[in-house]
Amino acid sequence: MGLFLQDLVNGILAGGILAVVALGFSLVWGIMNIINLAHGAFIMLGAYITYQLFTSLHVDPFASIPISFAIMFAFGYVIQKYVINNVARAPVLTTFLLTFGLSLLLVNLALMIWSGDARAVTPTYAGSNFSVGPVTIPWAKLATLACALAITALMQLWLARSKLGRAIRATSMDIGAAQLSGVRVAQVYSIVYALGAGLGGAAGSLLSLSYSLNPSMGEPFIIKAFVCCVLGGLGSVEGALVGGLVYGIVESFGSQYIGTGYQDAVALVVLLIVLILRPTGIMGKATA
Amino acid sequence: MTKLGLGGITGSRQAFYVVLGLMAVLLFVPQMHNGYLENLFRGILMYGAMSLGWNLIGGYTGYVSFGNVVFFGLGAYTAATLSTHGIRNVGVAIALAVVIAVIFATLFGPPILRLKGHYFAIATLGLALATQEIVSNLDYFGGGTGLTVRQDQFFSLYYYVMWGICLVSLLATYAIARSKLGYALVAIRENEDAAAVLGINATRYKVLAWAISGTMAGAAGAVFAFANGFIDPETAFSVDNNIFPIVMALLGGVGTVAGPVAGALILTAINETLWSHFPKVHTIFFGAVIILVVLFLPRGLLYLFRTRLSPRIFLESLRAYRV
Repeated sequence: MGLFLQDLVNGILAGGILAVVALGFSLVWGIMNIINLAHGAFIMLGAYITYQLFTSLHVDPFASIPISFAIMFAFGYVIQKYVINNVARAPVLTTFLLTFGLSLLLVNLALMIWSGDARAVTPTYAGSNFSVGPVTIPWAKLATLACALAITALMQLWLARSKLGRAIRATSMDIGAAQLSGVRVAQVYSIVYALGAGLGGAAGSLLSLSYSLNPSMGEPFIIKAFVCCVLGGLGSVEGALVGGLVYGIVESFGSQYIGTGYQDAVALVVLLIVLILRPTGIMGKATA
Repeated sequence: MTKLGLGGITGSRQAFYVVLGLMAVLLFVPQMHNGYLENLFRGILMYGAMSLGWNLIGGYTGYVSFGNVVFFGLGAYTAATLSTHGIRNVGVAIALAVVIAVIFATLFGPPILRLKGHYFAIATLGLALATQEIVSNLDYFGGGTGLTVRQDQFFSLYYYVMWGICLVSLLATYAIARSKLGYALVAIRENEDAAAVLGINATRYKVLAWAISGTMAGAAGAVFAFANGFIDPETAFSVDNNIFPIVMALLGGVGTVAGPVAGALILTAINETLWSHFPKVHTIFFGAVIILVVLFLPRGLLYLFRTRLSPRIFLESLRAYRV
């Protein structure tokens, strides 16, 4: 029972970060119909921003979250405005390869700057934890989960209440009608991609406390983000949250009962089953 | 959605003949007794076959697979496993690799090919990653450390066999493109519902196309294992082997017969030049090359054969798809 509870808690702790990882990916996919294969690279850059701030300026990893969000937001805005917007309406293959090329470029640039050596962000509180009955919880991971939930809640609030948030939701519902109502779609696209990149950067900062850093650390998260979106349904904040938590728990139990080596395979098998049985996701709408 | 194809079912006929002539020249590469060149051109022929394979499902049928490397990897592991059991005949390995590719495609094709667009792309990517992870966890296949592939045949044989696979794939693509199957596949790409209404059994044709596609990659993988002498999950299912064939097809011309081979030749040339001049940063340039091709040449180089050259054609796609 203790082991079961510990796995459940581990799954939820991991799932919170995954929710932020999936959120940026989900917005870009849901609103612009672009699978952003550079999302993993954005996560990696966010993690390295935190690492750099921590080692050179002794900035606390949690305090660096807004900084990596802001830097990656600006970067994503420029990329979308000057590059991706040019082919945003092209078929799947075009944007797939475009973002793949971008990812290749960024990962290898990072390799040049930081080399391939594994790095770690180790604040003094990194190892401390507390126990509730049979379950051990690291403080850093609990704080990470809290930040992840706060980011998700902020995004939800902003999308629901702000003028720009409404414009974004309108664009995802009906691009033509949004244009007719005076929404500047190109501008919305740039903001959405910037948000995707910014959230990727924030997710990277969160991850830096529990993962070792290397330039290709972000790549596994692309497929994970995809699975979360499929599980939770596309383009919504709740969807990403539910998808992230479900995925985190499945992964945690999968590695406990089937073997750590099969961690990704378990998740991918879940993905294939969900795609085959319910191609629009557990919570998705009836049509894709 | 507008199409990236060239119109016409085979693309440019002249380009096809040029590529055929090129293939004839490539037959003589081993005569030069230059190990580097033989390796380089065997790589081009390998990517040519894989790219032709991808083109059949991704180009003609319009189902953008991001996991065709799974067939290549299975083919390579088939050859490696046979070799560890003392069977080192490349013909036997190819035959078994093809059988496995067909079984795999028939098994997973019907559920996966129901998915469209991004869902299909990621499902195939997931399938490739899961297969890689399962293979690297099985001690029978050498686990993460891989298998040494012993070869006891005359080494240039692998060049000639790879050449044969590329040529057969090229001719098969030409034949398929002009056959009922080819028209059915293009009909599915253009409008699957309309194709179904016309009596095309879409599922059957899609699975058939994916199986043939896998056959080409699987055969190439079997020969690669022998020529390389060593196989591990990272090489057999590598990202390069997954993405290169797609970029090559795009560079040459998606949904044309000659495009993939032309793309394999040109992209390998670009990659090799970058690698020898900028060994440390060549992958950065390679990323940039992909971005530039996607932005400015999405119809591929063969398109340039078809129209009057002017700067305008490089901006066409930017106009068509801008928001």
